[in-house]
Amino acid sequence: MGHRIAVDTGGTFTDVVITTDRGELWVGKAPTTRERIWGGLGDALTHVAGEHDLTLAALLAATDVFIYGTTRSTNAILTGGVAKTAFLTTAGHPDTLVLREGGKLNPFDFRQSYPEPYVPRRRTFEVPERIGSEGEVVDPLDEDAVRETLRGLPALGVEAIAVCLLWSIANPAHERRVGELIAEELPGLPFTLSHELNPIIREYRRASSAAIDASLKPLMQRHLGEMAADLTAAGFDGQLLVVTSFGGVMTVADVQDRPIYSVNSAPSMAPIAGRTYAPGEGSVIVCDMGGTSFDVSVVRDGQVKFTRETWLGEPFTGHMTGLSSVDIKNIGAGGGSIAWIDSGGLLRIGPQSAGAVPGPAAYGLGGTEPTVSDASIVLGHLDPETFLGGRLALDPARAREAIERVIAGPLGMTVEDAAWAILTVANERMVTAIRDITINEGLDPRGGVLVAGGGAGGMTIGRIAETLGSEQVLVPRTAGALSACGGLFSDIVSEFSISLRADTGRFDAAAVNAGLAGLDAQMDAFFDGLGTPPEQRGKEFIVEARYPFQVWELDVPLAGGRFDSSADVDALVEGFHDVHERVFAVRESGQQVECISWKGRATANLPKPTLPTRPPASGPPVPRTTAAGWFGGDTSRPTPRYVGDTLAPGHVVEGPAVIEEPTTTVVVLPGWQAAVTTAGEYLLTRADPGDVAAAAQTETVVAA
Amino acid sequence: MTSVTTGRAVDPVLLAVLSNRFESIVREMTNTLLRAGRSAVLNTARDFSCSLITSGHELLASAEGLPVHVIGTEFLAEAMADLHPEFAEGDAFLHNDPYLGNTHPADHAILVPVFFEGEHVFTACAKSHQADCGNALPTTYMPGAKDIYEEGALIFPCVKVQSGYSDVQDIIRMCQRRIRVPEQWYGDYLATLGAARIAERRLKELCEDHGLEVVRGFVREWFDYSERRMVDAISKLPAGELVGRGTHDPYPGLPDGVDLTVKVAIDPAAGRLAIDLTDNPDNYAGGLNESRACATNNVITGVFNSIDPDVPHNAGSFRRIDVLLRDGSIAGNPRFPHSCSMATTNIADRLVCITQAAFAELGEGFGLAEGGLGMGISYAVISGNDPRYGGAPFVNQIFLGSTGGPGGPVADGWPTYYLPVAASLMYHDSTEVDEQKYPIHVFEKQLIPDSEGAGRQRGALGSYVSYGAKGTPVMLAYTFEGHENPARGVRGGHTAAPSDGWKLDADGQRVDVPMAATLEIVPGERVVSITGGGGGYGDPHDRDPQLVLRDVLEGWVSDDRARAIYGVVLAVPAGGGELVVDAEATAAVRA
Repeated sequence: MGHRIAVDTGGTFTDVVITTDRGELWVGKAPTTRERIWGGLGDALTHVAGEHDLTLAALLAATDVFIYGTTRSTNAILTGGVAKTAFLTTAGHPDTLVLREGGKLNPFDFRQSYPEPYVPRRRTFEVPERIGSEGEVVDPLDEDAVRETLRGLPALGVEAIAVCLLWSIANPAHERRVGELIAEELPGLPFTLSHELNPIIREYRRASSAAIDASLKPLMQRHLGEMAADLTAAGFDGQLLVVTSFGGVMTVADVQDRPIYSVNSAPSMAPIAGRTYAPGEGSVIVCDMGGTSFDVSVVRDGQVKFTRETWLGEPFTGHMTGLSSVDIKNIGAGGGSIAWIDSGGLLRIGPQSAGAVPGPAAYGLGGTEPTVSDASIVLGHLDPETFLGGRLALDPARAREAIERVIAGPLGMTVEDAAWAILTVANERMVTAIRDITINEGLDPRGGVLVAGGGAGGMTIGRIAETLGSEQVLVPRTAGALSACGGLFSDIVSEFSISLRADTGRFDAAAVNAGLAGLDAQMDAFFDGLGTPPEQRGKEFIVEARYPFQVWELDVPLAGGRFDSSADVDALVEGFHDVHERVFAVRESGQQVECISWKGRATANLPKPTLPTRPPASGPPVPRTTAAGWFGGDTSRPTPRYVGDTLAPGHVVEGPAVIEEPTTTVVVLPGWQAAVTTAGEYLLTRADPGDVAAAAQTETVVAA
Repeated sequence: MTSVTTGRAVDPVLLAVLSNRFESIVREMTNTLLRAGRSAVLNTARDFSCSLITSGHELLASAEGLPVHVIGTEFLAEAMADLHPEFAEGDAFLHNDPYLGNTHPADHAILVPVFFEGEHVFTACAKSHQADCGNALPTTYMPGAKDIYEEGALIFPCVKVQSGYSDVQDIIRMCQRRIRVPEQWYGDYLATLGAARIAERRLKELCEDHGLEVVRGFVREWFDYSERRMVDAISKLPAGELVGRGTHDPYPGLPDGVDLTVKVAIDPAAGRLAIDLTDNPDNYAGGLNESRACATNNVITGVFNSIDPDVPHNAGSFRRIDVLLRDGSIAGNPRFPHSCSMATTNIADRLVCITQAAFAELGEGFGLAEGGLGMGISYAVISGNDPRYGGAPFVNQIFLGSTGGPGGPVADGWPTYYLPVAASLMYHDSTEVDEQKYPIHVFEKQLIPDSEGAGRQRGALGSYVSYGAKGTPVMLAYTFEGHENPARGVRGGHTAAPSDGWKLDADGQRVDVPMAATLEIVPGERVVSITGGGGGYGDPHDRDPQLVLRDVLEGWVSDDRARAIYGVVLAVPAGGGELVVDAEATAAVRA
């Protein structure tokens, strides 16, 4: 196996992670270049290669697999940089994208504007036709009317077309014919047919999927094409794969065909990394925290949790992708979140954020409001001098002044108490996000392992663990590049689905088996296209099902891909009762189950690099310095600060302590200890007296 | 009685932490009910609410609950303690009695007393609107019922439905015998009970984590904090007495409609609001009478719609609002056996709107316009047997087309408003899901151009929906309102287009239908539902011309109306292309 390269290009920085053919792990970071991505990326790779006495061409020539994660499509949607798209839909139903599915967060808030639709009404066109719920043609397709509509689009500057007709999932003839007419009338114009992309019931979700996908085609087809060409020109002739929201990767051609899969893809890699770093654990909760946002995802028995409800932007007012994708709970909380006191005297954190500009008060860039980062500085958790490797000098006096003026003074507290209070309240919001995603899935958040990623992850995870009651926390040394690391360990994953209603009370096994056989064939064709050898093909079948009268389905894994006997149906029903009880605390034994849609998830397993091991420690850990740290209460505690590079497997650091890594800072709270694992990661556990003794012994042994 | 005045029982950080925790418990209850609920009323329209009530029967937390449901749930807990002083751990109570604190009979509330170390600490309440509650007709809305007997709902005056965590089978059997599609009802019962039991589990954990003393201290502090926020919000209002008036459309048994009056006295110096509903007509022989819970929460909702939405909605902030009701009034305490079948919608919606519109009289920046009123034929309760599923019976409310939301001081109305008492909180149906679940075919579902109440911030558009029966007759039970008295604007904002409805027979001929009726449609026929728009806020001539341009380009407002009502002149630019605002001509029209 040759080298494997994974990159994660964010809006500001690009992370590069490489596993070499000798089992080493190299990490690099560079500013993202927006105009042509290869610029900054090539520089970063050149730099990393140079550190190991390689040329870029030599590095790329010895690389088998290049995994590319990009936020390009997500950013294009959020900033309105997508193609001018037209939306074609069934006559009489033009407002599907306008009305969404309803819902609002605060019923008493009338100050928020109603959101604009993904495609404006002025570019929405009604197609005279109608298919009924049983797939019957109610009104024939008026092809002349469609042609006339299409001929008018170039004058409007339309660059892409999304088509979603009612019941195209039951009978795609009309939608398919509209596709043919587009190809005839407007050859070369990219378009998306909803039943091909995401054949699910619920016209809003299907239409939204199609609209988002079509709007990304011009941009992403060009972008990925350039990326592939630049890589080839630089000497790469391995396999280029693109990270998707399924928590896997896909070929460039597949993502060019369905660019919506690249939306929100970077966060989907965090649980893949979490699963890799904490293998064999019952459940893994992955927290990824940067300057402005906190993402949580969950792995249960090795399975990443998926959802059908991914919103771009706020729930109800954003746009739903409608696709099954890795479930990421996101809240706007980070180091930049501003602390304030409301008119009732309550300490609040956010939702306003100082962001990176003007940033926390301590940055001295014009920010005067106290932020979560300012609290960390006051408490001695963040060292003003080594922050970001010393690239940005922080002014602790400004942090103190802001907290004193806005929080400590009004509440009659010391500055340190106020700073601790800020972290406590900020922590509570993150813990709530974790509780929501785990408890709603019937998972006990106290069990399993917490994995921390992101620049601010190592600093916040300790409080989170304490509040949740967790026993184990893992902070990878590469926490700052968690998504890129996930990319290294991902597989090629694709999902196929069909809508096919079947009630277990009168189960039509023949129809279901025919549907499943269709999915099976699609998965085989997918594998054949990739050239995946049989032993690397993984197939999972999942049914989305509900009790009679319900409308929200639950995912139930099927034992096999066929129903050969009534026992197979019974197993499905039993599986559904179990999932329903886990998620909603009640089961209705004896009740039949309505199966709404069926999914086949195809996984082409890629050979995995092994995590490199580091040489064991050859002496006790030596802190860089020891400074005052506050951890609640009025008095400070001497807090040793370690440089991560000086710590090795076998070392155990007792809290309170701080470990400084180039991409993150790990705070070890009093009562906790951090052990360095053989791979060099930090495993935080509660230090009871027995453990401390054992840890001391370990150190002695190492020292000897 | 002594009061502790020195220091705080709970430190301010714990206050923030625990308030978050209680909200999180309610959200977990809500998620359970939404996803596990069987009837569309729950799992789509989210016509339910979850709340936590203290052992002193004060509402503590109610994240994201329907306003019309939540406020007043404390009356239910009070009834539990009064009627069942021996209530114990493992009990659950079913309460839907509108004469005893509930909203209306279709709302089944499940109350679970929560104990810690043998002491009653909280009551968890999950309340859900049923698809059917045993009424004389297959609908939960009976405008024509002259009393509770003709209405026919099964009434449970806070009846024990679980003991020792097991169902009292007598009660379950009664419901299964008298409620249509009993397995749907039982599924909803399980979901509602499940939500309350989840809260019980979480509240016990919370008491375990923090200790009872801290939790009780928190409750006191949290109410005090909420009261301070309310005092602060009221102190920002001008002093004065407002009188809001409005009229409900004529209805069966109400040939002249109902004139309603809401009087609001604002005392910013004292930080108090008083709302007087006593000057309203007596109970009548029909289903529109308000219950105590509804009358109270409607006007409180109107208040909360008019102030800082960040003020917590609990017993602490309610301390600052006095609501005066009269016994035997249509907008007060109902006198048994008058029917309160429709207490959550018609008069209720009017009271919300009259209150928020009254606040607009205080000046620029206050209050809201009236929102679109009533349920349309697009929210009918439909029932029948579906030949596609072996003739299986169905009864459910559909939600296919909303009324328009009200314009406010800074934002236009939302087209997903549905009802003043629901305030855009509910989800609406997917056409495909409805057509799969019921034998109906939806022909059209779209917003109606020019139906908004014009204003500086305009109301939202009403909607046009038409649907018919597919392959089998379907029974509809529907009501609409706001046909003669549509949503009015405030501060110079205009009144919106009214609601309407009719039937198209097999030949496509229009057949008039009453505003409230039970109607069978057969294949070939269809019904048309027109829901009203929302009222406007402020003078339409003050509307940003760019917003008017957007409305015209999107097809929401016609070019003619832009000129005639908004005073905005649009023109094709010299080189062709999309319309632009003709600033000069606009200024001339608006001058």
